[in-house]
Amino acid sequence: MPLAPVNDSVGIDALTLDPYPIYRQMRATTPVVRVTSVGRTFLTKAAYTKMVKDDPETFSSDDPNTPMKPAFQAHTLMRKDGAEHRRERMAMQMAYTPKVIKQNWADIYRELTDRYLDSLPRGETVDLFGALCGPVAADILTQILGLGDADADTMQRWSQQLIDGAGNFGWRPEPFAVSDRANAEMNAHFDSLIDYHKANPNASAFAIMLNAKDPIPKSQIYANLKIAIGGGINEPRDALATLIYGLLTNPDQLEEVKRQEAWGQTFEEGVRWVAPIQASSRLVKEDCQIGGFDIPKGDTVMTIQASANRDEDVFENGEDFVVFRDKNPHQAFGSGPHHCAGAHVARRTVGEIMLPALFERFPHMTMPDPQAVKWRGFGFRGPINLPVTLN
Amino acid sequence: MVKVTYIAADGTTTTVEGEAFSNVMQTALDNDVAGIVGECGGSMMCATCHCYVDEAWQGKTGARNDGEDDMLDCAAGEVKPNSRLSCQITLTPDLDGLVVHLPEAQY
Repeated sequence: MPLAPVNDSVGIDALTLDPYPIYRQMRATTPVVRVTSVGRTFLTKAAYTKMVKDDPETFSSDDPNTPMKPAFQAHTLMRKDGAEHRRERMAMQMAYTPKVIKQNWADIYRELTDRYLDSLPRGETVDLFGALCGPVAADILTQILGLGDADADTMQRWSQQLIDGAGNFGWRPEPFAVSDRANAEMNAHFDSLIDYHKANPNASAFAIMLNAKDPIPKSQIYANLKIAIGGGINEPRDALATLIYGLLTNPDQLEEVKRQEAWGQTFEEGVRWVAPIQASSRLVKEDCQIGGFDIPKGDTVMTIQASANRDEDVFENGEDFVVFRDKNPHQAFGSGPHHCAGAHVARRTVGEIMLPALFERFPHMTMPDPQAVKWRGFGFRGPINLPVTLN
Repeated sequence: MVKVTYIAADGTTTTVEGEAFSNVMQTALDNDVAGIVGECGGSMMCATCHCYVDEAWQGKTGARNDGEDDMLDCAAGEVKPNSRLSCQITLTPDLDGLVVHLPEAQY
């Protein structure tokens, strides 16, 4: 079979600004395509992205050639396969279960959300991205992980610095210098909490990992916490911002959502429509074929779940925000062994707590100028501002 | 083909034919049976394909697989002695006629 066609024209700037028309075109004409500017083979159809993620033996996460390792100062579970990955993941998974959230945390999350809602000025136009979405996601994560008094600003800064390091595919020294400093701060903070969590076993991820019968090494406990910081703030933040935008720009749907209290369904549609994590990489371990093209061993394929979530073969009107779909088999949380460990947490916190709390508090809020909302991101995506008039 | 009956929490009963040696989760997805999500595709990583094996069939479906217990703890619904992750139940020919009950919610 032939090799996949090459796309020399699409650049990272266009993908960052608005990838959706590009993906739509790719799905129609070149669903498997080698994108020169990114150095990856893009897979834009739902069947291909799922097939790749469900087959970790052929499509490995264990890619030694990514900047994640220097950024996190560790070979993290995100970049492992098989038994080692499962052991490190299951070491913290119990902290992220629906039952633990319900029993231990739901009331705390409501209080945290209410505290931020209390601080918002009624009648004024406020950027909810900075005033609500980011900080409340950060504060909730601090509780889930058991990170003591780490404040929202610090958590968001650590998160962004880790992400910037992990995305430093140009291998420039500055982002790694910044992530090194963040690692030193995090390590010191984690060190200061160990005695407390050992003396006071609790349902936080840190305590569960430390107090396990057969704990994973401390270095991997720290790596897991950093992965959760890097991956547990921007995604709920971006999901919440996307949901608010989707509802406020579709007032008919908003009314029906309120009437039916269909917040969970709204959440699913928001993360389908604009998946907070848009693309993932897998290293090809053996020669194979996808969509009629040879994919050689050593190639790196990129599953574009942002595109899979709008695939015409799966979704009608996939480009539109439509809460009341019959079915919504999106891939926003991925598939396979690396299926998002925080999926239950995200559904409970963003979908069941934050979103309804906001719309109950400000039932008549409006978005004065939807055009003023800017969307950014290729790997991660969401609005970067969200001016809303609170009423 | 192997016949499987899914009984939803509200009593809705759906009987479908699954491919031999497929699994109970995939068979539900292939036949649009509501109540099983199976978001991780059978990797035992999401606990969204939780089911309760009908008591009459518990002997034939066998014991839980390695790692299944831990992941069941992550399920949204109550875990009972007959709880299984349906992705871990292979449709061997002797399971023809299998009945499973579904929890109210998978997440």
